[in-house]
Amino acid sequence: MLSLLIKKELKEIIGSSKFVYSFAVSALLILITFYVGAKNYQINKSQYDAAVAENIRSMSGVTDWRMINHKIFLPPLPLASLVSGISNDVGRNIGMQGRGELIAKDSKYNEEPIFAVFRFLDLNFLFQIILSLFAILFCYNAVNGEKERGTLRLVFSNAIPRDTFILGKVLGSTIALILPLLVPMLIGFLLLLVLGVPMSFEDWMKLFLIIVTGFLLFSVFINLSVFVSIITKNSATSFLLLLVTWIFFVLVIPKTSVLIAGRAVNVPLIDELNTKKNQFSMQLNREHFNSLSGFKPANKDNFMQEFQQFMEKNNQAREEKTKSFNEKLNRERINRQEVQHAVALNLARISPSASFSLAASSFAGTSLNLVSNYREQADNYQKQFAKFQQEKTGMTSGGGGMMFVIRTDGDKKPPEINPAELPKFEFKPASFSASLGSGLIDIGLLFVFNIIFFAAAYLRFLKFDLR
Amino acid sequence: MNTILNEKKEFPMLEAVNLTKKYEDGLLALDDVNFKVHQGEIYAMLGGNGAGKTTTINIFLNLIEPTSGETKINGIVTHQQPLEAKKHVSFVSENVMLYPEFTALQNLDFFTRLGGKTNLTKDDYRQVLLRVGLQEDAHSKKLKGFSKGMRQKCGIAIAILKNSPTILLDEPTSGLDPKAGLEFMTLLDELRDEGKSILMSTHDIFRAKEIANTIGIMNNGKLVMQRSKAELENADLEKLYVEYMAGYMEEVA
Ligand SMILES: Nc1ncnc2c1ncn2[C@@H]1O[C@H](COP(=O)(O)OP(=O)(O)OP(=O)(O)O)[C@@H](O)[C@H]1O
Ligand SMILES: [Mg+2]
Repeated sequence: MLSLLIKKELKEIIGSSKFVYSFAVSALLILITFYVGAKNYQINKSQYDAAVAENIRSMSGVTDWRMINHKIFLPPLPLASLVSGISNDVGRNIGMQGRGELIAKDSKYNEEPIFAVFRFLDLNFLFQIILSLFAILFCYNAVNGEKERGTLRLVFSNAIPRDTFILGKVLGSTIALILPLLVPMLIGFLLLLVLGVPMSFEDWMKLFLIIVTGFLLFSVFINLSVFVSIITKNSATSFLLLLVTWIFFVLVIPKTSVLIAGRAVNVPLIDELNTKKNQFSMQLNREHFNSLSGFKPANKDNFMQEFQQFMEKNNQAREEKTKSFNEKLNRERINRQEVQHAVALNLARISPSASFSLAASSFAGTSLNLVSNYREQADNYQKQFAKFQQEKTGMTSGGGGMMFVIRTDGDKKPPEINPAELPKFEFKPASFSASLGSGLIDIGLLFVFNIIFFAAAYLRFLKFDLR
Repeated sequence: MNTILNEKKEFPMLEAVNLTKKYEDGLLALDDVNFKVHQGEIYAMLGGNGAGKTTTINIFLNLIEPTSGETKINGIVTHQQPLEAKKHVSFVSENVMLYPEFTALQNLDFFTRLGGKTNLTKDDYRQVLLRVGLQEDAHSKKLKGFSKGMRQKCGIAIAILKNSPTILLDEPTSGLDPKAGLEFMTLLDELRDEGKSILMSTHDIFRAKEIANTIGIMNNGKLVMQRSKAELENADLEKLYVEYMAGYMEEVA
C-alpha cells in the first residue's frame, strides 16, 4: 500500500507539466553553477600562478635576502569556487617579513567589486534559494490541494490508514523531487572532471557531503510544506505562509542574528586598536629618549661601542614590549570576535537555511575558519621565513625598524640570491575530518528540523478533516 | 469479476442504528436515523438540500464520527473498525474528482489497487469503462480535460472494479446526460442482480421509485418516511414527498 502511494506521487509529480518546466530551469542552473564554478577556479588559478611568478620575478637581481619584497598568496581552492562562502572577502596576499604583524590584502571583491554586487552563483545559492523554492512549489498543496480537488475523499473511502497516506506523501514527494535532480548534479561532477578542476579525493568527499547536506535542507522544505498544507485550509494560504517562512529562513533570521550579535557583543574596531598601539609605541619612544639622558659610559674611550650596546639593548626591550602589547590587544580582539561570531551563528541556526549555509561553507573550507586557518598558516610560515633569513643573513627583516646595510666588500659585487631557495608557502585546507567536525552540528540540526516538521505533519494529519 | 454472492446474508449489509450527528456549531444534521439495506437491495434516500444525506454517507465512510449511534457495513461498526469496514464498500460522490494529471486508465489503476484489487489488467479497465459508457478514445486522455459526466463514469467504473459487496452513491447521476442517466439505472439493476447492496442519495424521485427496493425521505436530519417498493406501488410519490418535506406528516420509520 505504501509503495502504491509512493508510486502515485512519483507519477503525479514527474508527469505534470509544472515539473517539466521547473525541473528544466533547476537543472540548467545546476549545470551553470558547476560550469561557472570550474571557470572561476581556472581564472583564479591563473591569476594566482601569475602572482606567484611575479613575486619570484621581483627578486631577480636582488643580492640580499633582507631586501626582498616577498609575498605569500592564498591559493584558489576547487571547492571555494563551488561554495564561495567568505573566500571572496578574504585578503589573498600577505606581504611577508621576518617579524611584525602580517596583514592580508586584496580580496577578490576588493579587486573586482562587480562580483560583490551579485555574488557568485554557487551551490549555497542553489540549495538555499532555488531548490528550496522548488520544494515549496511542489509540496505547498500536498494535502489541502488533494482536499480542494476532491481526491482525498475518494482515497479515504478505501481502507487506507492515515499514517500510511501521509508517509507515502512525504516519501513519494521526496523521491520524486530528489532523484531527477541527481542527474544534473552528476553531470556537474563530470563537468568538473572534464574542465580539469584538480579535485582531490578529500575534495570529492567534501563535495559529496555538501550535496547530501543540501538535500537535507531540501527535504526540510518538503516536510515543512507538507505540514503547512495540512494546517491551512486552502492552497493559496499555504503558499503564502511558506513564502513568508522562506523569507524568514533565508534572509530575516541570519541578518537579524548578525545584528543582534553585533549589539550584544562589542568588538573593538581595528582603528581603535591601531590608535592604542600607536599611543603605546609613542609612550615607549618617549621613555626611550628620556632614558638616553641616563646613559653614562663606563669607559670614555669606548663610548661608541658602549652606546651602541646600550641602544641595542634598549631597542630589544622596546620591541619585546611592543610585541607583547600588540599581541595582547590582538588576542583580546580575536577572542571578542569569536564570541560575537558564536552568538551570531548559533542564533542564525534557528533557520535551517542558515544551518545548511554554515555546513556547506565548513565543508568547502570557506567558513569563517578560513580566516584563522590562513592566519595561522601564515604565522607558521613567518617563523620558517624568519629562520631562513636568519640563516642566510644573521638578521630578520621587518618590525618597523630601519635597517642600514653597510657594504664592506668594496666594489666586488655580491652574488645574486636564488629565489628557489625560499621556503615554499603551501596552504593546506582543513582536513576532511576537521571540516566534518565543524559541520556536524549543522547536519545534526538539519536532521532535527526534518524530524520535527515530519512529526508535526504526521501527527496533525491523524486529526485532519478529510471531507 | 461478476461473482454472484451465493448465500444470502442474515443481517443487513448496510445499516444505520440510531444515527445522530451534531456538528461542532451545534447543528443537528442527523437525528436518530435508522435504516437497513439487505443484500441485493437498493435503498434510495430522498430529501431536500441540507437534509443530511451526505452526512449519513460520510459517517458510513468514517470521514466524520457520529455523535451517537452507529453505522455498520457488513456488520462491522464503521467508526470502531474503519479499515475493516471500508474493505467492503465502494463510493461514488456527487462530483467525482480524480487526479487531473493522470489518464482515465491510470486513475482506474491507482484507485482499484488502493481498493485492494491488484490483479486487474488494462483490458479489465477498458471493458468496465466501456460498460459505464466512456468512449474508447477517452481512456488514455488526462482527466483534466474531462467533463463532469465523464468523471462520473470513471468514478462508477472504479466502484464496479473494486467489486465490494456494498456501494454508497451520493447523487451519482447529477452530472449525467439523460441517456447516460438511463444507462446508469440499467447498470445499477445489474449490480443489484449480482447481489450488491446499494445505498443511493438522489433528488430524482421518478428514477428512485422505478429502481429502489426501499425509499426513505429525509427532512432536517430526520428520516420522516420509509416505504418499500410494494407499498409505493400505487402511491403518488411526488405528492408524498412534498407533503413530508413540508412537515404535514411524520411517520415512524
Ligand atoms: N462541517 C459541517 N459543519 C457544520 N454543519 C455542517 C457541516 N457539514 C454539513 N453541515 C450541515 O449539515 C446539514 C446536512 O448537510 P448534508 O450535506 O448532509 O445535506 P445533504 O442532504 O447532502 O444536502 P444536499 O442535497 O444539498 O447535498 C446541512 O444543514 C449542512 O449545512
Ligand atoms: Mg449532499
